[in-house]
Amino acid sequence: MQTSRSFSRDEICRLIADHGGEERIPPKFNIIIDTSDFFKVEYNDVVLLGDSPYWVKRYEKEGRFGLDDEPKYWVRRAINLLDGSTRILKLVFHEQFETKIGGIVIKCFRSPKKEARILDLVADHPNFMHGHWVQDSAGNVIRILDFIYGMRYDDIIVPYGKDHQDYFYNYFPKVLDQFIEMLAAIKFLHDHGEKHGDIRRDHILWDREREVLRWIDFDYNYLHGESKFSFDLQGLGNILIFLVGRGDVLVADLHNNNKALFDTLWGEDLNISYKNRVANIKKIFPYIPESLNRVLLHFSNGAQIFYDTTGQMLDDLYTARTDILDLTGGRS
Amino acid sequence: MNVNDLTKRDTERHLLAAVDESENSKRAVMYLADFFGDNKDIFITLLSIIQEPSEDFFPTDAERHKWVKEKKETMEKILAGYRQILLGAGFQENQLETRLSVRQCDSIGDVILEEQEKLRCCIVVVGRRGLTHSEEFIFGSTSNKILHHAKNCAVMVIE
Repeated sequence: MQTSRSFSRDEICRLIADHGGEERIPPKFNIIIDTSDFFKVEYNDVVLLGDSPYWVKRYEKEGRFGLDDEPKYWVRRAINLLDGSTRILKLVFHEQFETKIGGIVIKCFRSPKKEARILDLVADHPNFMHGHWVQDSAGNVIRILDFIYGMRYDDIIVPYGKDHQDYFYNYFPKVLDQFIEMLAAIKFLHDHGEKHGDIRRDHILWDREREVLRWIDFDYNYLHGESKFSFDLQGLGNILIFLVGRGDVLVADLHNNNKALFDTLWGEDLNISYKNRVANIKKIFPYIPESLNRVLLHFSNGAQIFYDTTGQMLDDLYTARTDILDLTGGRS
Repeated sequence: MNVNDLTKRDTERHLLAAVDESENSKRAVMYLADFFGDNKDIFITLLSIIQEPSEDFFPTDAERHKWVKEKKETMEKILAGYRQILLGAGFQENQLETRLSVRQCDSIGDVILEEQEKLRCCIVVVGRRGLTHSEEFIFGSTSNKILHHAKNCAVMVIE
């Protein structure tokens, strides 16, 4: 068990004063070394972890780290009082639940140890959130994450271009390169036997300081079936379909706004995991190259073959990239 | 099992039935009972793999051990039940063996095929889960894996 360096209340008050002035010293606060009951960690408390005291601020909400606008009580923004840096403290929350897809029950876990292990693994990899982990006095694995200043990637993409064609010809080649970089990052995890576990488009942030995209939130794990990485691949496919379509192409929107196009769609054209979204994007935007659309069709309801590995998907995307550069003049 | 036993197996028709607690596994066992119950030169190994969660799934090691212990106890009972079905169909005690393997693995199909190779079984028998297209996409299919990767043996997939 790690021991935290101890600080007296006076030392902590002085550190807070150094950091933000005497007036910011809270009249009442707790010094916490055991975070087992994370609900007891309140605003302005100081958590001692490793060598540093962390001055606890607000809860994080999903969107940056995990149900839309729902506070995640175990994820706190905090200030390291030794160097003034902003950090995210992820306290231990052993959430377990079962989810059912069709007739199959999947046991899901939130796993602090998994995230800690991956933080170690990706310490030098630019496309992941970074941080370190320590154990508190009760042995809880606390992840101390670098704060990423920047927006969700999907929020950045959707406004690109005046319409889809403009987006596709002028912005998408770069977007595809970025996606390939993020896919390669997931391959790095898989090659090391790790799943990301919760691949969603709001789990990619654009780090505006380092000017790089970064995966966040990899503390989910599940008892996989025959295919260990298929959940991750499904998530990657959904993100790619979103990026190619410049947003979700929703069946209901087509029904309401473009009946002729809607009538050309078959069940097989829809997303295998979200039946209200189109996966066969070429039917909507015919200038999309076949080679790219074929990748999307791996995630359609009509798919006859699935990707087993990120490597297979990457290979197909490299081919598609060449075709897109030819189409958009990127290689001329 | 000693070397002589293994040698003897070469003269037998040795089936490896990979089973779990599902109805389709039970169906597969009942099919074997109906189809091979009268054959005295057939040997069946009933194999069950428990995919052991890695240590990070549980808050404590004690909880992980408890999970594995309970899962093993459940599966041992189920294997005993399957064995009874085969005995009831005319198999003799010396024609049956059960193996329960608890291990971490990326693919249950791969583990089944490893066991097939080790035991030199001539037929692998599995029940098909009857996954929908999207379920198969998300979970992968053990029977498909075995069908596509089995070597030096036949594969029976019981619907």
